[in-house]
Parts: sequence; structure tokens; C-alpha cells
Amino acid sequence: MNRVFIIPLGVLFLFTAGVLSALFFRLSPGEIISALASEETRFALRLSLITSVFSTFLALLLGVPTGYLLARTNFPGKAILDTFLDLPLVITPLIAGVGLLFLFGQNMLGSILGKWGIHILFTPLGAVLAQSFVACPIVMRSSRAAFDRVGHRYEWAAATMGLRPSQIFFRISLPLAKQGILAGTVLGWTRAIGEFGATLMVAGAIRFKTETLPIAVYLNISSGEMSTALSCAWVLMATGFLFLLALRWIGHTPSPEISPSR
Amino acid sequence: MAEVNLQDVRNGVVKGISVNIRDGELFVMVGPSGAGKTTLLNMIAGLVPYEGHISIDGACVDGLPTFKRKIGYLFQDLLLFPHMSARKNILIALKRLSLSRGEKDERVSNIMELLSLAPLAKRLPDTLSGGEKQRVALARALVSSPKVLLLDEPFSSLDFRTARYLRLELKRIQSQVNTTMLFVTHNLEEAQDLGDRMGVMAEGELEQVGRVDEIMLQGKSSECGFLEKPNVFCCTYEESLGNGLIRVRWAGRALFVPEDGGKPFNRVAIHPRHVYISSYPPPGPRVNRFQGRIRKIDYKGGMAYVEVMVEEERVYAQMTTEQARSLSLSTEKSVYGILKLRALHGC
Repeated sequence: MNRVFIIPLGVLFLFTAGVLSALFFRLSPGEIISALASEETRFALRLSLITSVFSTFLALLLGVPTGYLLARTNFPGKAILDTFLDLPLVITPLIAGVGLLFLFGQNMLGSILGKWGIHILFTPLGAVLAQSFVACPIVMRSSRAAFDRVGHRYEWAAATMGLRPSQIFFRISLPLAKQGILAGTVLGWTRAIGEFGATLMVAGAIRFKTETLPIAVYLNISSGEMSTALSCAWVLMATGFLFLLALRWIGHTPSPEISPSR
Repeated sequence: MAEVNLQDVRNGVVKGISVNIRDGELFVMVGPSGAGKTTLLNMIAGLVPYEGHISIDGACVDGLPTFKRKIGYLFQDLLLFPHMSARKNILIALKRLSLSRGEKDERVSNIMELLSLAPLAKRLPDTLSGGEKQRVALARALVSSPKVLLLDEPFSSLDFRTARYLRLELKRIQSQVNTTMLFVTHNLEEAQDLGDRMGVMAEGELEQVGRVDEIMLQGKSSECGFLEKPNVFCCTYEESLGNGLIRVRWAGRALFVPEDGGKPFNRVAIHPRHVYISSYPPPGPRVNRFQGRIRKIDYKGGMAYVEVMVEEERVYAQMTTEQARSLSLSTEKSVYGILKLRALHGC
């Protein structure tokens, strides 16, 4: 049977490798080097890293406690809320971007935030929010699964030892769920750094201002600068590959055996 | 030390239990699976909601969150934190006490010494044997000197020898630290080994409370058949053999009964589960054996209760239905039996 399954594996590999080599072999080494060294590519990489780190941090800040709450509590309408929070995973990023655009526009939150000097639309902050929107459910879902796996009984044991709920969370629950949360964080981060549709709508495509790597690819393809566009695409893919590799490594790190909850 | 008082404590599983566990007492609650023993412990610990009143050391703890109840809890599955070494597992239990780092270290070292855990200090729970894990969990439960220690069948997953050793250890430690302990188990032997007093639970209700030996001798036919009436035989006291055994005469034969430091007695009791029946003369020393004829067999809840007539005496034996079937037991069949020496009590 395994021999038969080698065929789809081979097709899948060739498919991925074909697309990547089609992107790679269009450029000469000289073009790649000069594009990589260009100010624009470096700006886009820097902005992508900064915004994706911030958005992942925001996703952790919102996703981990939410995942914990959903794993530990029951309340009426929980299933509906749970499903509702997953919606960003299925909404087309472009549509999500339009929603964010309206939400933070002048007619809604934009005017209020503007009074405090906070401007979301067409700024890097907008890119952070757009990326967070897609990263949050991933981190939340992974955290919830991780807390579910740990179960509540270790927390019971800690409570009988006199640990307060906050101590239980930080000293017991979080370390035990660490691996699942980390895996979710890496996935969320890769999703954030590659985010395009929502970022385009909220932050716009402004060179040297809101130009993340996917936006740089888009801008350069639009203006016919294929070498810079493809170089940015390659930087994006290489970063993503490295982090997926890290994710795999985290997944294989031996962890202490956690007894299932009763 | 502290007294634990339960007044009409109930929830969906436990149906109105009132009992007083005295200062420094080791109280054993026995009952079959599903009797509500663990739920009762969880209620005392404040882990599950309940109605009624619980007081610890004279103070009402109803509505008090678990972390404020100053109890220790040794769970059936131990729940050692898998990401912490044995020493850290014990150290974390001192969080509630405002002690200096040095004092905490000293306390941990002392309890580890008491339970012979020092060589295991840096080991993760995954790398410990069942008995070692049990000792670490016990140390963790005791290190903060809780007012009350709750123990939920902590030795049930161990082999007989290790469980017995740890029971004796627990008894020794309890006499040293004088903590009030509530130990729940489905194992009557544990109750016999450990308890000062015991309670019998069945289907969420407390059926009996009293001294362990009293209950074991009186017995009571509970609905679920958990604690069947024991065999009580009238006998004639003959002599103490000086080796921890007493010889008595029963049904025309000699019986050897462990000496209990008490006065001479004229009755001996043994639980039916410690009466072994065989179709053929069993091998081994011919001590406390009998031969008789089966008068009746009752099958109930997967168990077989066999009534054997030995001369004019009735002897009850308890075994699983499978065991009874494998022995091809039937009424009027002639059988051989052994009364387990260590399970005999003079009274």
C-alpha cells in the first residue's frame, strides 16, 4: 500500500517544487542579490518582522486567556461563541479587511481614536491589527486545545496546596500547555507575516510606509519590477520555511507525560 | 490538628452526610466504586459545589475557595506536576506559608528525609517508580502541615507489598505529625490496617460509623452488598503460643489467631472474603483449614456468597462469580476451605 501512496506524495512534492522553481529560475543570481540588497526589500522585511511580532504578541495576549476560559468554563451559548470566534479563519481576508476599514473608519471608532492621536487606517498600526485579526483565532484555538489536553486536575491539586488562581495559571497551567501554545504561536506568526488581503484594505499599499513583504510583492508586480517582487516573495517563503521547521522541532521536543484529565 | 465536621453535606452524588472527624484522627471511609467517596473529599476540599455545612478546626469553610481551606489532598492519580522535579513538586506546596527561602528548604529536606526521598530530589515524576511517586505525593501533601489531609485511594494502583508498606509508613507518619486524616478506599484491608475509626458509604449515603474492629465484627448487610456480615465463630480459648499467635478450639479443631495484645476471647471473626474455598485439599501447611458441605450459594452483583456447613457451624465465603464457576461449586458439594490467618480477629 505504501508503494502506491508514493505516487501522490511525488505529485505533491513536484507540484510545490515546480511552483517554487518557476519563481526562482525567472531571476538571475545577480538580480536576486541586487533585489535582496535593495532599500525597499530591506524595509519590507523589517516592517513585516516588526508588525508580525506585534500582531503575534497581541494574538497571544487575547488568544491565550480566551482559549483558557473556553477550555475551563461552561456557560449558555458557549458553542455559538466558540464558533463565532473561529469566523476570522473562514472569512476571506479581503472581506475582513473591508470590515476593519469600516470599523476603524471615521464613522465608527476612527473618530474616537483620532481624538487620542491614534490613527489606524493606512498606518503600520493598521497592518498590525489586520494581521492580529487572522492570527488571533489560530493562537486561541491552539491554546484551547493545549489547555484541554492538560485538564483541570493539576489545577485542583495546586489549589489544595494554597496556590491562588493567578499562581496556578502562571506556574502550572501555562507551563504544562506551553508546547501547544508555542506551536499555535508559530503558526499564527507565519499567518500574520504572510497576511495580504486585510492588510491591503486597512493599511493600504504605500511604499516605504505600510509596505510589508506581501504588499511589496503586490506593488512591484503592479509596477513591473518582477525581480524585486520575486525576491520579496523568496524572503517571505524562506522566513516561513524556517519558522515551520521550528514548529516541527517544537512538535518533536520530548515533553513530560501529561496524564489526561478525568 | 483539626476537627472536621460535616453537617448534612450533599450534592447530586452525596446524599446528606453528617460525620465528625476528630482532632488528629485517621478516619477511613470505605465503600464500593460509585459510593460518592471521592465526591465527598472534593466537597471538603471545596473543589465541587455542595449544600450543607463543613467546618474545619471549628471554622465554617462553606463558600471558601479551595486555596484558602488549608487542607492537603493526596489524589488517587497523585497529580505530580510533570514539569517539576520531585523536590520542586514538594517545594511548591509551601507557597501558602510565609516562610523564608531557607526555612522552606529546611522543611522540604526534613520531609524528604522522613520519607527517604533525598536521592530522588532532582528526578522528574516520569522517571520515578509507582511507589516513589506515591511517596513524593505524600511528602507534598504533608510538607505544609495542613490542618487536614484528604487521601483518595492513593495506594490503589500499587502492588500488594508496596501498598502495604506505604500504609504502614502513613500510619507511622500520622502518629508523628498528628494531622487529621480522612482516607477513602474501597479496600477493607486498608481500613483494617489504617483506621482508628471508619465509616461505610454506599450510594452516596453514610451507612455506619464506628471503630474499625467494631464495624468489621458487627458488619451490616448493605444494599450493595459491600460490607457483608462477617463470620463470627464461638470458640474456646486454649493458649498463647508466644509467637504472636493464640490457639483456640472451634468446631472440633484448632484455629490459630493473631495475638492482638488483648484479653482472652471466646469468639473469632473473619470477613467472608478471607475465607478461601477449594474443591480439593489445598497444598501448604495444614493451618486453619476445614472441610464442609455447601448449603447455599447466592449470586449478587458479580459476586458469589457461599454458605458452607462445617459440623454444626456456618461459614460464609465470598468470591467472584467467575471464581465460583471455575470451582464448579454447587449445593451439597463437599469442599475444603482455609481461613486466612492474618484476617482472623479475636473478640
